[in-house]
Amino acid sequence: MEERILTFIKNDLLDDGQLDLTPEDDVLTTGLVSSLAVFRLIDFLEQTFRVRIPAEEMTIENFISVAAMSNYVRSRQTEQQV
Amino acid sequence: MHHLLFQPIDHHARQQPERIAFRCGSEALSYAAFARRTNQLANLLIERGVERGERVGIYLNRCLESAVAVHGILKAGAAYVPLDPEAPADRTRRLIRDGDIRCLITAPALRRKLPGLVNEAGPLEWLVGYAAADLEGVPWTALEAESDAPPQLRILGDDLAYIMYTSGTTGEPKGIMHTHRSGLAYARLSAQLYGVRPDDVIGNHCALHYDISTFGYFTAPLTGATTVIISDAHTKFPTSLLQLIEAEKITIWYSVPLALLQLLRSPTLSERDLTALRWILFGGEVFAPRHLRDFMRHAPGARASNVYGPAEVNQCTFYHLYAPPETDAPLPLGWVWPDSEALVVDAHDRPVATGEIGQLLIRSATMMKAYWKQPELTERSFYHRERIPGNRETFYRTGDLVVSDSAGRLHFMGRMDRQVKVRGHRVELEETEAALAALPGVHEAAVYARSIGDNELTVEALVVPDPGAPATPDGWSAQLAKLLPPQGLPTAIKVVEALPRNDAGKIDRLAIRAATQRIIA
Repeated sequence: MEERILTFIKNDLLDDGQLDLTPEDDVLTTGLVSSLAVFRLIDFLEQTFRVRIPAEEMTIENFISVAAMSNYVRSRQTEQQV
Repeated sequence: MHHLLFQPIDHHARQQPERIAFRCGSEALSYAAFARRTNQLANLLIERGVERGERVGIYLNRCLESAVAVHGILKAGAAYVPLDPEAPADRTRRLIRDGDIRCLITAPALRRKLPGLVNEAGPLEWLVGYAAADLEGVPWTALEAESDAPPQLRILGDDLAYIMYTSGTTGEPKGIMHTHRSGLAYARLSAQLYGVRPDDVIGNHCALHYDISTFGYFTAPLTGATTVIISDAHTKFPTSLLQLIEAEKITIWYSVPLALLQLLRSPTLSERDLTALRWILFGGEVFAPRHLRDFMRHAPGARASNVYGPAEVNQCTFYHLYAPPETDAPLPLGWVWPDSEALVVDAHDRPVATGEIGQLLIRSATMMKAYWKQPELTERSFYHRERIPGNRETFYRTGDLVVSDSAGRLHFMGRMDRQVKVRGHRVELEETEAALAALPGVHEAAVYARSIGDNELTVEALVVPDPGAPATPDGWSAQLAKLLPPQGLPTAIKVVEALPRNDAGKIDRLAIRAATQRIIA
C-alpha cells in the first residue's frame, strides 16, 4: 500500500517520478502536497483502497506521511469489514 | 515613538520579556528571545555584506523562522520579499531576477524545491537555512554564534521594508513596495480599529506573500500580543485547525472567507469551544452573509469585520458586525478607515454623486510607495490632485467599482478590469490568457471565471487549436502549471472551433458568459 501511495504522490500529484520520498517523510509541512492536492489524494485513497474517509478523520495525524496514511487506511478497512 | 517596523519588538522585549511573541506548533519565542534571534540574523546578514535597501528573499512555509526572517531582514536595514513555496519554480526564478535577490532565507524542509530556483545567470548568491546546488548555505544554527546586540544602523521610516509581488495584466508580476512608514501606519491603524491588546492571541492563517500576513507579523508585535502562525498542515485540515483555534484560545482571527467556509464544513465545528474568539476578520473577497451568520453562531462573543483594501494600500475600509447579519444582502465594504480619504470617480476622474457607481480612489498613510522598477505603471495607478497650491495629494486607483450610500458606506460593485479572486488570491484573467495563447498548438484562447458556489470561483478556458494541430488540453495544463501560480491555472480547458466574437471582432465576453452560465468575468 505504501508503494502505491508513494507512486501516486510522485507521478500524479508532483509529476516527478525521480523524487526522493520515503514513507516517513512529512509531506504536509514541506509544501510537497498543496491544499488542492490534498483533495486529490483523499479521492485516490478512497477509490483505490475502497474506504470512506469521514471529514472528522481528515486530520494532520492521519495524513502527515505516507506511513501514517497507510496505517489510517488499513484501520478504516478493518472497521468497514466489521 | 516608533518609526520602524521592528522597534516595538525591542520595546516589548524590555517591558514583557517572557510574553510569547510568536508560536508555531510546539515551538515558541518570547519577546526577549525573538529580539535576540532577530538581532543575530541581522548581524549575520550585515557581516556578510547585505546592504541597506537590499532585497532579501524569504522562501519558507508558515513557520516560526518566517517571523525571525521578516524582522531580522528589517533590522539589517534590508527589505524582505516573500516568495510562495507553492508557486512554480519558473515564476519564482523570475521574481528573484526582478528583485535582484542575492540572498534567500529558507529551510531544509524545502530542500527538494531549492535546486529549481538556482539559475546560473541569476542574481542568487547565497542562502540562509540550507545549502543547495553550488550556492553557499549558512545553517540556521550559525545564528547562535552571532552577537545578539541590536545592530547600529541609520534606518529611516521612509526606507523600503518589503516588496509583495502580485499578478500583473501583462503577464509579468508587479512588486508592491511598502516602506516602514506605510507598514507601521497600517499596524497602528489596525491595532486601533480592532482594539488589539497585549493579551490577544492572533491567528495568522495566510502565507507571508499575501498582504493579510502583515496583521500577524506587524500589528501583533506593535501591541505586545502573541501571534500563532498556523502551519501549512493545519490550513489543509479544517478539523485539525479547529482543534488548534480552541487549544491556543485564539482571540482574533483574520483570513480569507474560504478558510472560514472550510471550518464551517467540518462536522466537528459544533463540538469546539470558540468562546475565546472576540474578532473574526475576513477580507480578500466577498463573503456570503449566510455563511458568516452560521459561523458567528458557533463563536458566541465574537464580533466580525469585513476588511477591504488592495495590497497597494493595505486596508482602507471596514464594516463591523456586532451580531450575525440578519439578511442575505451583500455586506458593505463599509466606512473608510481613519487617516484615509476615498473618492468615487467616473471615467474622467470626476467625482460621482452618492448612489452612483464609480471607481474607488484611496489616499492614505498606508499606501505603497511605488511598483518596483515600474515608474510608468506606478504613475498610471496614481491620481494626483492639488486642492491647495503646492500640496499635491496622491490617490491610488483601486480599479474597484463602488457605490457610496447616504450613510457614507461603500458597497462593492465589481472590478473594472478582468481581475478576479480565486481562494483569496488575485488572478488576472489576462495573464492566464496570455500564457495559454503563447503555448505551442494554441491558436487562440479565452479565459474566464465561473462561479462554483457562493464564495468560490474557478478559472476555465476555451481554446482554438492551431489548424491541423492536435488538441492537447492535458499537455497545455501541464505547461501552464510551470508558468503560473496555482490559483491562476484553468481547472478545465475546453477545445472549441472558434471563439465567440462581437461585431468589432473582439472576443465576446458576454456571449461566453451566457454560454457557460453564471460566469462573472
